[in-house]
Amino acid sequence: MGKPIFITGAGIVSAIGLNKQEVLSSLLAGKSGIADVRYLDTEHREFPVGEVKLTNEQMIQMLDIKPDAVTTRTSLMGMLAMKEALDDANLTREDIHRAAFVSGTTVGGMDKTEHYYLDFINNDKKNKYIVVHDCGTCSEMICDYFGDFAFVTSVSTACSSAANAIIRGAAMIRAGLFDIAVVGGSECLTKFHLNGFNSLKILDTELCRPFDETRSGLNLGEGAAYLVLESYDSMRRRNVKPLSVLAGYGNVCDAYHQTASSPEGEGPYLAMKEALEDAGLNVSDIDYINAHGTATPNNDLTESMALKRLFSDRIPPVSSTKAFTGHTTSATGSIEAVICILAIRNQFLPVNLNWKNQMENGITPVTDLHPDKPVTNVLCNSFGFGGNDSSLLLCSSEIYDKE
Amino acid sequence: MDELILELKNEIIETLNLEDMQPEDIDTDAPLFGEGLGLDSIDALELIVLMEKNYGIKLRDASKGKEIFKSVRVMADYIEKNRTK
Amino acid sequence: MTRNSFYIKSTAQISIQQPLCEDWMENPIWYDSNYVRSLEPDYKQYIPPMEARRMTRIMKRSLTTSNVAIKKSGLVLPDAIITGTGWGCMDNTEQFLEILCNEGEQLLKPTLFIQSTHNTISSHIAINTCNNGYNITYSHRCVSFDMALFDAYLQYKFGKIDSALVGSHDEVTPTSFVLLKKMGLVGCDDEICGEASVSTVLSSTPSDAHSAVAAIRIIYKPSVSEIHSTVNQLLADAEMCTEDISAVMVGISGNKTTDNLYYDIVDNCFRDKTILHYKHVFGECFSASAFGFYAADCCLKHGYIPDFLYVDKSQGMIGTPKTILLINHSDGKTFSFILLRSV
Repeated sequence: MGKPIFITGAGIVSAIGLNKQEVLSSLLAGKSGIADVRYLDTEHREFPVGEVKLTNEQMIQMLDIKPDAVTTRTSLMGMLAMKEALDDANLTREDIHRAAFVSGTTVGGMDKTEHYYLDFINNDKKNKYIVVHDCGTCSEMICDYFGDFAFVTSVSTACSSAANAIIRGAAMIRAGLFDIAVVGGSECLTKFHLNGFNSLKILDTELCRPFDETRSGLNLGEGAAYLVLESYDSMRRRNVKPLSVLAGYGNVCDAYHQTASSPEGEGPYLAMKEALEDAGLNVSDIDYINAHGTATPNNDLTESMALKRLFSDRIPPVSSTKAFTGHTTSATGSIEAVICILAIRNQFLPVNLNWKNQMENGITPVTDLHPDKPVTNVLCNSFGFGGNDSSLLLCSSEIYDKE
Repeated sequence: MDELILELKNEIIETLNLEDMQPEDIDTDAPLFGEGLGLDSIDALELIVLMEKNYGIKLRDASKGKEIFKSVRVMADYIEKNRTK
Repeated sequence: MTRNSFYIKSTAQISIQQPLCEDWMENPIWYDSNYVRSLEPDYKQYIPPMEARRMTRIMKRSLTTSNVAIKKSGLVLPDAIITGTGWGCMDNTEQFLEILCNEGEQLLKPTLFIQSTHNTISSHIAINTCNNGYNITYSHRCVSFDMALFDAYLQYKFGKIDSALVGSHDEVTPTSFVLLKKMGLVGCDDEICGEASVSTVLSSTPSDAHSAVAAIRIIYKPSVSEIHSTVNQLLADAEMCTEDISAVMVGISGNKTTDNLYYDIVDNCFRDKTILHYKHVFGECFSASAFGFYAADCCLKHGYIPDFLYVDKSQGMIGTPKTILLINHSDGKTFSFILLRSV
């Protein structure tokens, strides 16, 4: 069992809102952010997407950055989300100078690379966006906006990147290396991965329907979310209150196939089991599970299998919130962690939008947002290509509030 | 038809990087997936791209591929009936 | 039991030197060109053809060095697979981008996409070795390897794992070389660029090991005094003092701007130490720091330092090295300090 880590700040930018309050309102109102393509420059108008409803120029203005500065859409969304998290936690520049930053992304600066690629190669003059293609630069651009961190690293495990960034930050706090770690992920939509997912034939031209018998693929989304993780001592010293507690986590590899999950959902099963063990909790303690639930036939079936294996006939309320936000790929782990924190703090169950038909061998997801019992312990799943499967266990901070 | 079958075998070898294989190594009637050639779901997706690129046949639904890619002969039949280029 | 020493059971490399062996220590290959691709072994010996058919060079290289390191270590299932890569699978990424930019958004190939993500390498190794353990990929420019080793070391130190396969892999395609050169990262001044695939298996048990990781510290944007205190912390972690360090191995590559940052640290903290370098042998790329680790391990294992690794032989040569400190930095922002000792 590992030590609990305290979450003292959280920020989010997504298709359903540009901060926690807006996201909460959308979740309670059952309002999806998925719509026709508006911001991404793509030929594929047939796929609905969950875009952040801001242009890059608007974000640059909101962040008060020089208009000619080198930025990417991923870094801009990341800065916006991180700003909310740091404000929440009331971190000073001195706090930041002692803190670690761990960020997840896969596309990095691909939005610029795909736009300027031919110029990168053919123009003898150096295109200014060459240097921001990689993941590491993306992280540095985001955190440098706020000050000089003590440690910065980038995790890239496809669709579980942000979840693994959270895990990595928590591990460093547990090891006593840092008191504070800002963790999460950011990912903008790009033509590169929209076409990539399309080549895999797993994009739906309709609104996605996680865990529904008629599900036929995912809708891509974009966004960013960051958490401020903190040790108990640091939180007390700074006299700040926790929003929630990260009680445990699991990181495993399905080790089955580059794109498909193993038929029995071995990776998802092991990831959730490890998170429970790490937190010292039993399956009966779990009050809600935010599933990976992409709405592809393969994911939802194998994730259902894993849930049944772990919880047998006592599966807690489960939902996928991907029909709200779209699949935000590398950012999904932190975006959904924030959604879980909102569910715990506001005592509701995020519903599984667009669900109508019970799927064969599948779980029955949440459609009523009123919980039967308090929402205290929550699992949050993120699975990536290649079987990089991770699960986070988030808890209510109520017991610490009374101290 | 035989010409199309040979062409198809060469294209399969090239697209799926079956470097050590010759067209005559592929049995026209043997299953491409599972026990026959031992191809997998990623190969099926590559064959969907091949069908569109070389023969103008669009397959939106990946599961339809399963029937069409049963064997080289079945594939050739389907192409003959549906090709637009 | 203190878990300060994470024992190095095995290493394997594919680079611009002779692959999968340590021949470079006696007979290094020198190049006139500043762009060289790695020397490939006969992969048919290592990967069945039907499995190899979809793999790009970086996938074949990373799988082969991983499998060789695993086999040499005798540990079939390390507790964790932790991988670093700066640019990931560039060959597939470039091919996909070329189709996207030249032919539009209609006929993109799924294999290129699936095998373009950074975690392709680490998950591919897990799939191939049926390893369900902890699996993660760090992509942070020139400290990608350092970040991977740091994670493994920390998890070992705090009892989460007893063994790990750590690797770092980068490919430099002709297009990548053009881009890296424009970025000023490789091919400047006298610098040679090389591809990297280094894998190592580390374990809690010292049997058959010749060296161990004794401490690691990584710091972002340090001041001069913070570099001093980081070095002191590192030595304290390992319960050593400066005198215990046999030699300092730095990532100088012939690029004056980045090299000077190493000389500054040496002047400030290690003025009378013997300085070693390795990038003139293995070349520069995002994963090049893994070669520093590999070369230092070879020196500790074989008990000598080849002449050509000394930056300045007039400083005096070392008999049998006991402890080598590796210093690496990424763009002058992140600085990494890794202490290896013989066992």
